[in-house]
Amino acid sequence: MSTACSDRGGPGKVIADPIHGAIHLAQREVQVIDTPSFQRLRGLKQLAMAQSVFPNATHTRFAHSVGALGMMIRILDAAQEKIEILPEQRENLRLAALLHDVGHYPYSHLMEKVDSVVLTEDEVEGAATPAREIDATKTPYPRHEEMGRLIVTSQGDLVNAIGGANRAKAVADIFTRTGSADPQLSKLIHSSFDIDRWDYLARDSHAAGVPYGNIDIHYLLNNLRVSPEKTVGFSHKALPALEHFLLARFFMHRVVYYHKTIYGLEEACRQLLRRLRDHYPDKYEIPLDGNAVGELVRSDDLHSFTDAFVDAIVRKAAKHPGNKEEDKVIRALAGAIQSRKPPKILMEVPVYEECHRKHHAGTAFLQRCRSDLKKLSTDFSIPLGQFLLCVPTVVLVKVPPEYSATQVTRLTGDDVTARAHKEEEEQIWVFRQDDVEPTSLLDFEPSLVKQWAKFFFQACRLYVVLEVPDADDKVIKLRDRVKDWGKS
Amino acid sequence: MSEGGSMDRQQIALKLAADGVALDFKIDSFRDRLILQKAMYLVQAAGVHLGYHYQWYLHGPYSPALTRDEYAVVADCARGLDDSKGWRLDEQSRRRLEDLRVLLKPRKRPDLARELELLASVHFLITHQQVAKPDDDQQIADVLRRFGKNFQREDVKSARRELSEHGLL
Repeated sequence: MSTACSDRGGPGKVIADPIHGAIHLAQREVQVIDTPSFQRLRGLKQLAMAQSVFPNATHTRFAHSVGALGMMIRILDAAQEKIEILPEQRENLRLAALLHDVGHYPYSHLMEKVDSVVLTEDEVEGAATPAREIDATKTPYPRHEEMGRLIVTSQGDLVNAIGGANRAKAVADIFTRTGSADPQLSKLIHSSFDIDRWDYLARDSHAAGVPYGNIDIHYLLNNLRVSPEKTVGFSHKALPALEHFLLARFFMHRVVYYHKTIYGLEEACRQLLRRLRDHYPDKYEIPLDGNAVGELVRSDDLHSFTDAFVDAIVRKAAKHPGNKEEDKVIRALAGAIQSRKPPKILMEVPVYEECHRKHHAGTAFLQRCRSDLKKLSTDFSIPLGQFLLCVPTVVLVKVPPEYSATQVTRLTGDDVTARAHKEEEEQIWVFRQDDVEPTSLLDFEPSLVKQWAKFFFQACRLYVVLEVPDADDKVIKLRDRVKDWGKS
Repeated sequence: MSEGGSMDRQQIALKLAADGVALDFKIDSFRDRLILQKAMYLVQAAGVHLGYHYQWYLHGPYSPALTRDEYAVVADCARGLDDSKGWRLDEQSRRRLEDLRVLLKPRKRPDLARELELLASVHFLITHQQVAKPDDDQQIADVLRRFGKNFQREDVKSARRELSEHGLL
């Protein structure tokens, strides 16, 4: 699988990598890697709790970030004869690849999406919660790309290592794909077909020990082409390798990222963090909202904002005192995570549907949970907070939503621009044999992906967290009670 | 691909915010859409966080995610599924929305659209440091003119004053 990434950055160091071979670092990249702000990534597992099922999946954001740089070097080498990239652009692209994940939270998406709870207790019908109130005074946690921008432009060690404030902003512009960054070049960092995905599919697959992400990097690179308009794409000969890439991502989601046990544990942890933050903000010191996260990552506390930060909270929560129902739920969730007793799945409704469909078996199931979960909770004397509902979703290619005929007539210039921008970002370009400019993969007739792009996969799941001696018996009875909930 | 046939939490908050500033949730025309976009921008600027990320487009700050939710909310309401009933925003946010009502006071919709576009655009350019000298009204008016907007220095000055009076700057 490995090859050598060429040395185009002058004297530096070499990192041996199982995916890309020897990665030659430029001096400035070594300086960036040596900063405490970058070293923090050693404390973030790339696949969060996947190691609870795939024991070897313990690789870090640090390894992936260096790998993304290795991937960028390989792409730049493959494109060097076909596209003119100025030395400073090249250096910034390499730095952007290296730093694209520097803003990840502890346990990555788990904590970043702490507010993305499908069904909170106050949304369940009949739940005895206080007024159904939304607290809009709190800003949501920012996305990790925005966190990355904050870190790269405000942490002194990184700003210095990168070469000053202007350079730091230029690098952040590339990985957040904003500002003055060249749209085609920054697409290499952030799109349907970016170096992030090239690296993580191969690396995660290798680490987990599953074959699904083993993409054909060499062949894709050999068939890289660039149009006179600087559009980066691939020769039509690479169509199967391209399709394999997209399918690899789809299968890695199904097999690893959305594995029922891993996802259940991560959901339990997400809900635990949300509860602790909302009910015991002083005791557990979880950032209250996006502003608090922003302050944290601009301070020295950034360096301890790693998986260990969450692990310590879980350990403390497992001994959480009190006898209110909320206290019991906290102990149950924390105990399940700490002792690796994953939430039990009661029902899963798999959905393959066209993206525009709003009503299907999954939505019927969610509606049923909303209306009947309270009774189930009461009948089995299990607190509502110990039922977890999730809807992990994946698509082959992100296609912007189709507007209906009526909607089209109402579109503003801004709508059209925004849609075009989104479309362009997600496009994968294929060069027909004699064409100078490429065709979108979605318009490429022989493409399998063209046929399947309009579908999504969703696994609507209901879990329960139980810490009682007769848990298995209870789970059997619970499954019997919900077995028809997926029927419309 | 929304989870249910009904509104999610963000859409509920959006509907409550529009109700809170007494704004009709209409998207029948370009002008209606512009009013809703800019009003929700100002709502967020006032500290009522609905979770929409705005970027600069032709008509000033614009959020594609808000567009998607506008359609979803209108569709659900048309089917009689207004899930925001039974919900409310926190007290502080409700007070902030009440304060904002003055900014959206009843007037002809073309005037409202133009005024909200000015207020939101001036706020965005100043707070996102999109102009070299944020204190310079003329510079802001020049930027707006580059986007084909007929706003003068005096318009910017008056917008700045109004934003300050409502605690948005």
